Amino acid sequence: MENIFVNAAGGIRNLLESAGLPSLVVDISIMTTIFVAILVFVLLNVLWLVYMERKVSAYIQCRIGPNRVGPMGIFQTIADTVKLISKEIIIPKNTNKKLFLLAPVMIFMPPMAVFAVTPFGKGMVALDLNIGVYYFVALASLSTVVIWMAGWTSNNKYSLLGSMRVVAQMVSYEVPLLLSIVGVVLLTGTMNLTGIITAQQSVWMIFLQPVAFLIYLIAAVAETNRTPFDLVEGESEIITGPFTEYSGMGFAFFFLAEYANVLLVSMLASILFLGGWLAPFGLTFIPSWIWLLLKVYLVIFLLMWFRWTYPRTRIDQMMAFCWKVLVPLAIVNIFVTGIGKYLYESVRW
Amino acid sequence: MFGKGLLKGLKITIGRFFGKKSTVQYPEERLPLPDRFYGKPDFHYDKCIACNLCVNACPNKVIKLGTETVEKKKVVTGYHFDQQYCLFCGLCEEACPTDAIKFTKDFELTTYDRDTIGIEFVKQGQIDKKIKEVKQAAAEKAAAAEKAAAEKAAAETKSQTEEADKAETTNKEGGA
Repeated sequence: MENIFVNAAGGIRNLLESAGLPSLVVDISIMTTIFVAILVFVLLNVLWLVYMERKVSAYIQCRIGPNRVGPMGIFQTIADTVKLISKEIIIPKNTNKKLFLLAPVMIFMPPMAVFAVTPFGKGMVALDLNIGVYYFVALASLSTVVIWMAGWTSNNKYSLLGSMRVVAQMVSYEVPLLLSIVGVVLLTGTMNLTGIITAQQSVWMIFLQPVAFLIYLIAAVAETNRTPFDLVEGESEIITGPFTEYSGMGFAFFFLAEYANVLLVSMLASILFLGGWLAPFGLTFIPSWIWLLLKVYLVIFLLMWFRWTYPRTRIDQMMAFCWKVLVPLAIVNIFVTGIGKYLYESVRW
Repeated sequence: MFGKGLLKGLKITIGRFFGKKSTVQYPEERLPLPDRFYGKPDFHYDKCIACNLCVNACPNKVIKLGTETVEKKKVVTGYHFDQQYCLFCGLCEEACPTDAIKFTKDFELTTYDRDTIGIEFVKQGQIDKKIKEVKQAAAEKAAAAEKAAAEKAAAETKSQTEEADKAETTNKEGGA
């Protein structure tokens, strides 16, 4: 069970090599297979997350939630997606048609590209970059541009206001997010995601960096535009923000991409702070990739729990909280972490 | 402490998450209806005495009562209930002296078209049966009355003849 995916990849490689193909072709086809597998993994998770969100919200509101399509309503998202595909995509007048249609396609690119460097289990990483964290965060922040693109080309005041909010919010919250990660990078001394995980062998980062974890979690909620920071789609003020003019599958892409982003930030949270695919208490008989999924879903549940508990903040409150509370706190955290590391290394008790 | 309210909120929502759900899966499960619920009306043909009280009690003129006099007796030939105008006030039920009109707890009254929403409670078979019964009863009564009359008449004629006989004898006696 532990090496099922690694062995599968090795098996395919052996099969292709024994067929006498040149090594370049073998490498390319292996990589393609891995990326398709990651794509399928992300899409299945996104479909599941939409369903899970509806169930969690329903349970918190004393309801049952979707339960008609399939057992326990498990195929509800598929039914919804099929419905949305069959709907007309309306393109408003005076829009930049190409960009307008390109935005929903592009929205999936940053989260998909990020999963290339994610270690899904022991030895299960498509690209073991030594600046994995940097790549991860740099690409994840690109979705700001895509949402701005959607808002600008929609030629609609609500879309424009919403996308301005996206830029303001996501760029601002990127700062505490990165600063909170710096604490972890300081302690582990590496930016390689696999290296960060193996550095947590003895103790998870959440115990060494609890403040950083809290800051990361809050910033992650803001980064994914979820309640209490979902001003981007404050229904009462600006309809659905940048997605107002989108219909049918165009809207569905943005909707699904939100969950891809949720998966992404939860994945990073569990890798950086919860020990990634490391098994706690020596429970190594459960495969590493299942451990990672368990941790990821724990963080996702936490995010959903926040979403259905807290009301929406005001834009000034949100910005003030970011710049006046989170950023100073994160800087203090880095400072304290640095001093702590220096003391630990000089004393060596 | 800062953030205490946030934690309290989280505690409440997780309690709800694991708590009892209040959804009732309607077509499969139903909430119990109160005793005085007014749903679809029900009409008992045999109890109805065609007194017209329900028709007069109705504020919306929902009920149309058709009657026919058979052998000096009123027979209900139609009880049409225009349900789309009914406001389910229950005044007809209150007015009825014999509990012939009653409201049931059936609240699923939607129909696919307008013509089927009114209810005609009385069936032709019931009317025929009732008329037959009334006629039979009337016939029996008439027969009984005839019989009685015949007996009476027979008794009368008998007494008359007796009287006549008497008179004859007295006449004879007097004559002698």
